[in-house]
Amino acid sequence: MRQLHAEWTKLRTLPSTWWLLAATVALTAAVGAAAVSSLTTRICPSPTACHEDTVKLALTGVQLSQAICLVLGALSIGAEYATGTIRTTLTAMPGRWRVLASKAATLSLLTAVAGALAVLSSLGLAHLILPTTPTNSATLRAAAGSILILVLVTLLGLSLATLLRDTAGAITLGLGILYVVPVLSHLVNSPTWQHRFQRWAPMPAGLSIQATTNLERLAIGPWPGLGVLAAYAVGLLGVGGAWFRLRDA
Amino acid sequence: MTTTPTRTVPPYRSVLHPARAGFVHLLRAEWTKFWTVRAWLLVLAVAAVVTVVICQLGASGSSVSGGPPIVLGPGGEVVNDAFRLTHRTLTGDGTVTARVTGLKDASGKGLGPWTKAGIIVKSSLKPGSPYAAVMATPGHGVRMQWNFTHDKAGPSSDLTKAPQWLRLKRLGEKLTGYASVDGQNWTRLGEVRLDGLPGTVQVGLFVAAPVHEIVHRSFGGTSEVAGSGQATGTFDHLTFQGKSTDNGWTATDVGAPAPDARPGNSRPGTTTVSPTGTYALTGQGDIAPDENSPDMVQMSFQGVFMGLLFMVALGTLFVTTEYKRGLIRTTFTATPSRLKVLAAKTTVIATITFTTGLIATAIGFTLAQRTLRSNGFKPPEFPDLSLLENPALRAVVGSAVLLSLVAVLALSLGVVLRNSAGTIATVVVLVILPQILSFALPLPVAQWLLRATPAAAFAIQQGVTYYPQVQHNCLPESGCYPLTPYHGLAVLVAYTAAALLLAAWTVRRRDA
Repeated sequence: MRQLHAEWTKLRTLPSTWWLLAATVALTAAVGAAAVSSLTTRICPSPTACHEDTVKLALTGVQLSQAICLVLGALSIGAEYATGTIRTTLTAMPGRWRVLASKAATLSLLTAVAGALAVLSSLGLAHLILPTTPTNSATLRAAAGSILILVLVTLLGLSLATLLRDTAGAITLGLGILYVVPVLSHLVNSPTWQHRFQRWAPMPAGLSIQATTNLERLAIGPWPGLGVLAAYAVGLLGVGGAWFRLRDA
Repeated sequence: MTTTPTRTVPPYRSVLHPARAGFVHLLRAEWTKFWTVRAWLLVLAVAAVVTVVICQLGASGSSVSGGPPIVLGPGGEVVNDAFRLTHRTLTGDGTVTARVTGLKDASGKGLGPWTKAGIIVKSSLKPGSPYAAVMATPGHGVRMQWNFTHDKAGPSSDLTKAPQWLRLKRLGEKLTGYASVDGQNWTRLGEVRLDGLPGTVQVGLFVAAPVHEIVHRSFGGTSEVAGSGQATGTFDHLTFQGKSTDNGWTATDVGAPAPDARPGNSRPGTTTVSPTGTYALTGQGDIAPDENSPDMVQMSFQGVFMGLLFMVALGTLFVTTEYKRGLIRTTFTATPSRLKVLAAKTTVIATITFTTGLIATAIGFTLAQRTLRSNGFKPPEFPDLSLLENPALRAVVGSAVLLSLVAVLALSLGVVLRNSAGTIATVVVLVILPQILSFALPLPVAQWLLRATPAAAFAIQQGVTYYPQVQHNCLPESGCYPLTPYHGLAVLVAYTAAALLLAAWTVRRRDA
């Protein structure tokens, strides 16, 4: 419990934490609103034949705010390495697994709250702009899944920074996973490789949770897709924790 | 008696050469800062290797197997050359005149804006042979086109309101097109020289209706509804002046598909002649460059996305570590002119990333081409691309420029933000996120994103030329960028220049 309190104090007293969380909420909602208002029925033969996935469109902002969450996660331990606070932390709390676990817990909680705000405001704005936005179990799944994406990406940032002990490196690598792999998964010409990327790379797979229509066209189902992302995040956190335990600070 | 000579002590003078403060020394100082950090050299090497490896991976995943037989135009490019023709031979000089009275949709799927009806002079009936034609179109007025890639606009015309007179005159190898609204006053459309035009050529009336595509796009996929175009063009007042071995007009489907082609894909054309001299030609196909073959140049540069990531990190760290460790104060004490420091840093990082990028893209391109070649991308449809000629040269050098511009963008933002995490995330999001969003967002927004954000610069990797005389749906997922290669790169140049100016302003204004 003390560890949790210590980590919470560290996170709470950094102004950058609050800036990043505020940016997560604001940018998710702004990008989502922009994407939704870009929707026209002009490109469809008739409005009813327009099969746009409006829920997914409203949650487009997650693809931007995941970068902010990655930065938040990476900074929470990377900054300690950069300034040397990590040595004070480990002197005060020698249980390294506990340190990492309490960091992960406080970060997850904060990101989940910010993510919930972001997702709710995106969907609320979408509802104002497009009155026909459906509210059903698929929408609920997409909304909950988007919050989980943000939490998992934060953990990904934390684990990469624990592994590399360096913020810049962790962020570069994390952005590669979040953005470059999805680009390649679209542009690779071979359908087999496209399918492999969409099934097994953390990012295109994780985003499949946002789909509410045409589920049969997804390369991987919504929950299994999120599971792939979770497996990467938790797996890397495990590896990061093991390294953290074995190495000197 | 000896006198001790009085020694005068010279005042202290610095042994440093005055040129020490010059820009060259500043460059050397920044260069030393870069190459003495082993981790950065390692990142540079990793960037080059990863770029080459991913280019190779992208190429090895692409393969092509025998499609329909292709037609090559006079310039060696892949073309479509299929249309309905009513023709006769012309030996020597001569003129054909006709009036186009109407152009109607015959397939029920809509008339494409580039449906063509007009007069053509073609060296033979073989698909891909040289030609020149004047035509009326529903969406683009009167045009004169020749040898597939050339197109010249004439006066606007609306066939639904008034008929259009057309004339094509041959004089040796020279062809001149005319248009008129009344058959009395003629405006010259253009004159073209078709080298090697034989003495006897085919002349006649033609109708071509390109496939009319409508794109529907929703999440999870894009569907294209292709209206296999078929149109009927009506002509009258057909006159022929010149020597011909034929006694009358013959009707042919030029470039008719092989008999084993998919059923329903093509319907034979028809030609009817009324006793009053009205010709009605029904046909499909197109006389235009083919833009549907895969872009072999672009396919060889997929590694640049990954290399870019490392260049962003390098550009950022080159300045933010100085802020973090306080070295920036030493730097500014040694060189109080902050703009000079910024200029030196920019020059050094731009040179290093450009050189590394050029080596990586050149090797990556060459290896990827070899892999593509063995995967079935063979001449003549996919001609050998020389590294020293456009479009390959433009794409290789352009990708290296892109990498170095992105590094400079990162450096400038690093000066403004003074924080590595924020800078790296901002630049990567700015350059790569629009690309990802363009795959999923509605098409108009997707194309706007690829015009207005730094992601437009990836257009420099395109090898396919998109001709304005071919209707084309620019889909981001098939690698199409709405801007031309150089304009696309110019967008990134503008962003980088703006960031540099902002950096210059803040670095002068703020304390270090």
